Parts: sequence; C-alpha cells; structure tokens
Amino acid sequence: MDELELLYQSTYTAVVRFLYRKVWDAERAEDLAQEVFVRALAHRPDKPRAWVFAVAANLARDEARAAVRRKRHLTLLKGDPVAHPTIQPAADTLVEHDERVAAVHEALSVLTPRDREILLLWDAGLSYPEIAAQTGLALGAVGTTLARARRRLVEAHDRQHADKGNHAAHS
Amino acid sequence: MRHIPEEELHAYLDQGLSRSQCVEIESHLASCPSCQAARDGIAALRDRTTALLAKLAPPRNFPPPFDSLRRRAALEATARRRRVHAAAWAASLVAALGVGWTASSLVIQRPIPPGQPAQPAAAVPQATPRVDPAVVRPRPSTAVPARVIRQSRRRPAAVARDTTGSADSLRPVDTLPLIALPTLELSSIDIPRADFDMELGGMWRTLSWDGAQAEAGDKLPHIDGLPVVQVQLQTVEEGKKPLMVVAQQLASGEVIRTIEGPMNDVSHLLAGRTMTDPDPSARVDSSYAGAEPINLDRTMAMQRGDRMLVITGALPQDSLRAMIRRLNAEMRSK
Repeated sequence: MDELELLYQSTYTAVVRFLYRKVWDAERAEDLAQEVFVRALAHRPDKPRAWVFAVAANLARDEARAAVRRKRHLTLLKGDPVAHPTIQPAADTLVEHDERVAAVHEALSVLTPRDREILLLWDAGLSYPEIAAQTGLALGAVGTTLARARRRLVEAHDRQHADKGNHAAHS
Repeated sequence: MRHIPEEELHAYLDQGLSRSQCVEIESHLASCPSCQAARDGIAALRDRTTALLAKLAPPRNFPPPFDSLRRRAALEATARRRRVHAAAWAASLVAALGVGWTASSLVIQRPIPPGQPAQPAAAVPQATPRVDPAVVRPRPSTAVPARVIRQSRRRPAAVARDTTGSADSLRPVDTLPLIALPTLELSSIDIPRADFDMELGGMWRTLSWDGAQAEAGDKLPHIDGLPVVQVQLQTVEEGKKPLMVVAQQLASGEVIRTIEGPMNDVSHLLAGRTMTDPDPSARVDSSYAGAEPINLDRTMAMQRGDRMLVITGALPQDSLRAMIRRLNAEMRSK
C-alpha cells in the first residue's frame, strides 16, 4: 500500500474533524478532506501528514472567506424590504441540536484564532514539531500556547454553565 | 529546587519534550509532591479538553475508497494538462496579434505614485533620466491617455486600495536598489500592469508547461494548484538555467506572474518597464496621477543567491509576501 493511502486510512477522520471544527458543516468538511487528499496525490509532498493539515487549514480559511461573502450577500438581501423575508443570517441557520455541543462551540470561539488553531492541530494528532512547523511558532512556545488554550477553553465552558445556573435560579 | 513550569508539564504530558528533558522532569517529580499535584491537575485539564472537543465531531465519517480519490486526481491532472496546452497555444496567438498594440502602448510611461520623492536610481543600470515634474505641463483632462482610463475603469476597487495604501511600503521599480537587496530580504515595488503584460524584450519563447518543465527541470517557479496561463523562457547563457516567467490565473480572474532568473537579468526585466518611453513629455506626471488614480500591480522580490525570485499581481501585499515565502521554501526543497 502506498504511503499516502496509509496516511489516508489513519488520518482521514482526524482531517474531517479538524475541518468540521472550522467550517461547521459535516458534508462540506468531508468534501474538503477529500480535496486535500486528491491534491496530495497530485503533489506527493515530502512530509505528507503535516502537508495535509496545512492544506486543510488553507482550504478552511478560503471557505471562511467565502462564507463571509455569502453572509454579506444575505445581509444585503435582508435589507431589501421586498425580497426574501425568510432569509436568516448564517448563525441562525446553523442547526445546533445538542446544547452541549453548542456550549463547546461557543467556548472554542472565545479563544484567539492562534490558540484555537494550535489546540485543534494538537487534537488532530500533530506533534509539537509539526505544529511548530505549520504555525511558525517556536517549538518551546507550543506548550505555553496549549496550556493557555486548554485553560481558556475549560474556563469559558464552565463559565457558561455557571451563567446558565444563575439564570435558572433567578427565573 | 525550581518547580516545573506549567507549560513544561503540558509538553511533558503531550510527549513534546526530548528524552533528556523528560528524565529531568521525572526525577524532579519523584521527589516533589507539589509538582506531582500540578501534573495531576494538568492531566485532568488535558483530559477535559479532549473530552469537550470530542463533542465537536461531525456525525458521520466513513472514508470513501482511496481508489476513488486516485481516479479523481488522475482526471484532474489530465484536465489540467489540456487546459495548459490550450492556454499556451491561445497565448502565443494572442502574443502574435498583440505586437502592434504593444508597440503603441509603450508610449505611455509608468507614473510616479503620489507623494513619492524622486530618488536617484544609481543602483539600477540604465535607469531612465527623471523628468522634473515641474517641467512637465499638467494636461487638460481631455487629454487623458486612453490606457489610464481603461485601467481605472476596469478595477476601481483595487485602485482605491492602492492609493490609500502606505506610500512607504510601495516603491516604484526604477528607484528600488534591486542589486543591493540583502539576501532573503523582501521588498515591495509596484509596476503598471499593462507594461508588464506585454513588454518582454530579447529572445523570449512561449512554451507549453510540459515543454518548459523539460527544459527548466523541476524548478519552474509557480504556485501549486493554480491553472498556468503561460510559460515564457529566456535563455541567458549557454548551459545556465534560463530566466523564467510563469503566468497563472486565480479563481478571481486575476493573473499573477512568478519570475525566476539570474539577478541582473531579472532586475533588467523589472527596470526595463520604465526605460522604453521614447517621449518624456508623454509621461504622466505625479500631480496629474493624483487627480486620476492609476492602477498599479504589486511586486515582491526575493534574492536567492545570485538569482532572484519575483512575484507580481494585483493582490494585497500580504498575499504576495506569503506566496513568495512559500514559493521560496518549495523551490529550495526541490
């Protein structure tokens, strides 16, 4: 089996999850993950694992830009009094079945983009040197960043719980 | 004895430390209850983070067979080759038809950006003698050169961005001391798009992508993943790597060019766009340029030994800088 195929078997799920946490659309995350591996087949990179996540991060970034453009377009339509009164901003159309999922999602959004990126790369299975190489962070700073990101994520999550508890007690 | 800092405990638990660092930490942990407690706290924090993130997993996740991706990659490669061939053929046709237009277009000189002091161009060989703006008569608006109008109408947004951008970070090519660039220093220069599109003096050949690769080896300067519109090569010296220009199109339709070649030749090529004006009075002077914003492409140059890598296109400077850095890294790894 060729090296890329092995990598595909072992990391596809992690790549999809990594992308999902950026684009928040499971189907889109899978499309992008497949696109990443198709590109890897065309390029045959030297360090395929790091390469795959670097390209995934780029695709997710492009996707986010496109989403911003779409949202702007929606806002324009919304401002038009006759057209499409049912259109909602993107955040509202995001279906959050599970409240707990929404809570983590929100906690994650509290992090700075850099902290979030490094936390997600770590969670996707990248090593410290791989994270450092991809993000341009010094190797020694990866631990510091992860320490902060983890603390903030858990704090933000717990704070929400506390807020919700207080809210429930008052009403 | 010094206690272990929090981030080192994270790195230790994440297996992000060297063997010797681990040994050091373990020997300290064995005799330090407070650091043991800190380690346990961090291990718990780590587990909680992982558990929280695990909730953010997409619902369904079956990898399609790898062979289906292989087929897709093969199909895309074929399609890409076809596109490049067609584009190269069309480009040579356009180049042949465009010769007459080129000659007439070269009459207009590149403008000096507003607020740009005239500097001596000592470092660039054969620089055009500067025309004192005071000597040049401001034109009446009816005499606006046709090309200037065309450019500003074509890309009004970019024009606005260019004129509001920092004047110090953009330097016109004929005042940039290209030769004096320190190794791997980035510099930014601007040049008008139309001149750059058409004026390639000397013995230039337009090749297909495959042909160019056969000639230049793996080192054709290009951005992976973008369709190649045109590849041009200029043989510099027998047995030496040629001067190469690869034009690629972005999804937005903008064309970017990557140029790689011996430093002097690339400098000449860039400086050349300002040396072709046969009539100094045809120059658009800076006060006039201020009234009518002129669209400028941006260029990033990077010195690599005795060769130079350049990227140019109507893109934000950050994008160009990121592109040239990546390009440089890629070309070095080949």
